[in-house]
Amino acid sequence: MKKPLKIEDMSKQTGQLVEIETEDLMPLPTFDGQPIKKVQLKTTTEEQRKQYDCSLDGFSALAIPHPKTIQDEEEFLKRFLSGLGKLFSKEDNWTFLQPLVHSLDYCVKCQLCSDSCPAYIASGKQEIYRPTFRPELLRRLINKYLKKQNPLIAKLTRSETELNFRLVARLAELAYRCTLCRRCAQVCPIGVDNALISREIRKLLSQELGIAPREIHELGTVQQLRVGSSTGMTPKALENLISFFEEEIEERTGKKIKIPVDKEGADMLLLHNAGEFLSWPENIEAFAILLDAARIDWTLSTELVGYDAVNYGVWYDDIQLAKIAVRHAQVAKDLKVKKINVGECGHAHKAFIVVADRVLTGDLNIPRESALPLLEDLVCSDKIKTDPGKNSFPVTLHDPCNIVRLMGITEPQRRILRKICPQFREMEPHGVDNYCCGGGSGFAIMSSMNFQDWRVQVSGRMKLKQILEAFQDVPNPEIKKYVCAPCSNCKGQIRDLLNYYDIGEKYNIHYGGLAELIVNAMVDIEKPFIDWEWH
Amino acid sequence: MKILLVVATYAGYIFIVTMYTVKIVKYLKLPLHLRSEIYPVRSDQHEREAKSYLESLEWWTKPREGDFIGKTLYLIKEYFLLSDYFRWDKGYWLFLYPWHIGFILIITFHILSFLGAFAELLSFPVVANSPSMIGSTLYYLSLGIGVTSFVAGLFGSIGIMIKRLADEKLRDYATPLNYFTYFFLLAVFLTGLYSWYFADPSFHEYRAFWKGLITFKPIDVQMAASVHILLFALLLIYLPFTRSLHYVTRFFGFFLIRWDDKPNLRGSKLEKEIEGFLERKVTWRAPHVRHGKSWRQNAVETFHQDQKGIRL
Repeated sequence: MKKPLKIEDMSKQTGQLVEIETEDLMPLPTFDGQPIKKVQLKTTTEEQRKQYDCSLDGFSALAIPHPKTIQDEEEFLKRFLSGLGKLFSKEDNWTFLQPLVHSLDYCVKCQLCSDSCPAYIASGKQEIYRPTFRPELLRRLINKYLKKQNPLIAKLTRSETELNFRLVARLAELAYRCTLCRRCAQVCPIGVDNALISREIRKLLSQELGIAPREIHELGTVQQLRVGSSTGMTPKALENLISFFEEEIEERTGKKIKIPVDKEGADMLLLHNAGEFLSWPENIEAFAILLDAARIDWTLSTELVGYDAVNYGVWYDDIQLAKIAVRHAQVAKDLKVKKINVGECGHAHKAFIVVADRVLTGDLNIPRESALPLLEDLVCSDKIKTDPGKNSFPVTLHDPCNIVRLMGITEPQRRILRKICPQFREMEPHGVDNYCCGGGSGFAIMSSMNFQDWRVQVSGRMKLKQILEAFQDVPNPEIKKYVCAPCSNCKGQIRDLLNYYDIGEKYNIHYGGLAELIVNAMVDIEKPFIDWEWH
Repeated sequence: MKILLVVATYAGYIFIVTMYTVKIVKYLKLPLHLRSEIYPVRSDQHEREAKSYLESLEWWTKPREGDFIGKTLYLIKEYFLLSDYFRWDKGYWLFLYPWHIGFILIITFHILSFLGAFAELLSFPVVANSPSMIGSTLYYLSLGIGVTSFVAGLFGSIGIMIKRLADEKLRDYATPLNYFTYFFLLAVFLTGLYSWYFADPSFHEYRAFWKGLITFKPIDVQMAASVHILLFALLLIYLPFTRSLHYVTRFFGFFLIRWDDKPNLRGSKLEKEIEGFLERKVTWRAPHVRHGKSWRQNAVETFHQDQKGIRL
């Protein structure tokens, strides 16, 4: 059962602050008359709790070790306060200072944003996940430790929160209970962005204390900059994979296609999320088939970082964000391409086309665009001949937050689906009002300790509900169903959602990208391109 | 007393204008930031189509629509209707709306009182049956707006306070200062209403006070009106210490942050500005950051060092 909780409990209360129980979570709809199975949330082991702080809600995204000595704790808090100060520096944080100040100074705590947060709602309205909870805590710390409010004012503004290791560790974990989908910001009448505050907390932790989830930092941005891709894939491995893709394309479609690699002066450099190369090669192959059929002058790169569109920096660290964006642009510049096109990867869209737009200058400022308008042009201008009869199965569309709410690209993908999928149905709500898949801001690749349970049962719960509702009229397992998710991380999260609850294979619900659906509908390809194998 | 009222009123106006100006300038001088717009970036939020220029193939070759007027009208409409609150939480809107409207109207009432006083100084009598249309218009507008502001503000102040106390999600985040603000505004509206009903039903005395302010010849007013005038002056001094500036910063927050989708085109003024920001020094201390080097050096020069495992 939920216990009442106050912000001050974050520093005062010892032990685990909140217990997340399956019974408290938002109920899921039945499907085909059957309830969706209930899975007990995994807890961390005694050993893990001894080593790391899991005292927020029993989950851990960061694995912050307990300080060994009082000196360690003091140093930790000193660094935290130093980082907190830097968030307000025009040198250190010009990148997001104005949005941060606006959100901290003008929130009137009307709580209008609460019901827009899928994690808060799905958790059964756990107070700690309320979008205003962590900003309010941060605000109180700022009042007391940065602005050094006098005791009377501090009392009047309730800014008497005591700073200790427990508090910072919990706040750090809490910054990783928000998917940065920014649905809360969208409904705020004053323009306050509480998700941005989550990201600013992440940034402080990463850029000052070197604390970030291992999957995002060490195995993510650092690995990408060192070996070329966050997947660990080297240029050599990529070259082998490309040959394999060419063979597979020929096998599946009879088409002999040479995938252009490192072609200097090509019109377009295509950047894929490297996760596609390893987990969903059919997406890479579908793009190659489409671009070849439309006779587009394009290329892939095998240069370090140039073959992996991901930029995890966008979730937690401005320096890492800038490093990777610059590297991507450098690769394009060296290839002398006219433009860069970002494939089906939501966060790479936002990172490279929108956020890093104010990082790239001079000859690195190469035009960048989304793959979705390009695909729309191919399909809707009949440059690719399609037969909607080939896609005669129920299809729904998952909108990646980064592409819709944070970039405003909502219609190209819909115009394609309306043209090639006669049984296309929307999720509700959709478009700019969509719900996050629950894997946003890096969660889809984070599974350390028991974190996967949280992201599947809590942050992804609303998306699962939407998927089930979208197919309520076709529950029959004989009917193949397709969740189109034009984003690599969203696909990973949807895969995990369907697997976790054993409903993908059981009800014949599949997921995949947009390009695959287009190729599946192509007139001049005889065999179905989608293989309907559950993997 | 009359000197106190004059001094307090002048001090109140000078203080609020100065403080708001300082705060606004400070806000506007915050540096350019990375883009973090939220869609729909448009004037009418209730049609949920996005209409981002990024939906176009090779968007940089096509003209973009600014729609400054549409967006401004949208924000102005929101000021007067608070329709986002109505859409998401009708119970909250029921009290918030009259509270806000009371506040907007009391400011309007003061402007009208100033104009009324000015008109009378120019020999346009501000009375119901004034021979001048200006006079009678100002009379009825002042009366209507003044009384409406007091009634709406009073209802809203009481309602919003009860709502804050009764609703757990609002109560847990409220501070003693919030309640002080509600009480303060309640007192201002209540004394205004009392003064009008029992002492100055045509606001004639109020205009006379304003005439005294303009001509530097202070006059005595009845106790009820004096209390209201003093409280209002104190409110002007108090407001800059609250979040009240969101009336203004909301406008900036939408235009400069939420709707700021201006692209950085090659060779543009914006690009030049960004180049300046990239030269700023970074003092973050995590191992992967080059402390003391510029953003540009961090983003560009570290790559080969990262490659060699020197700095990860």
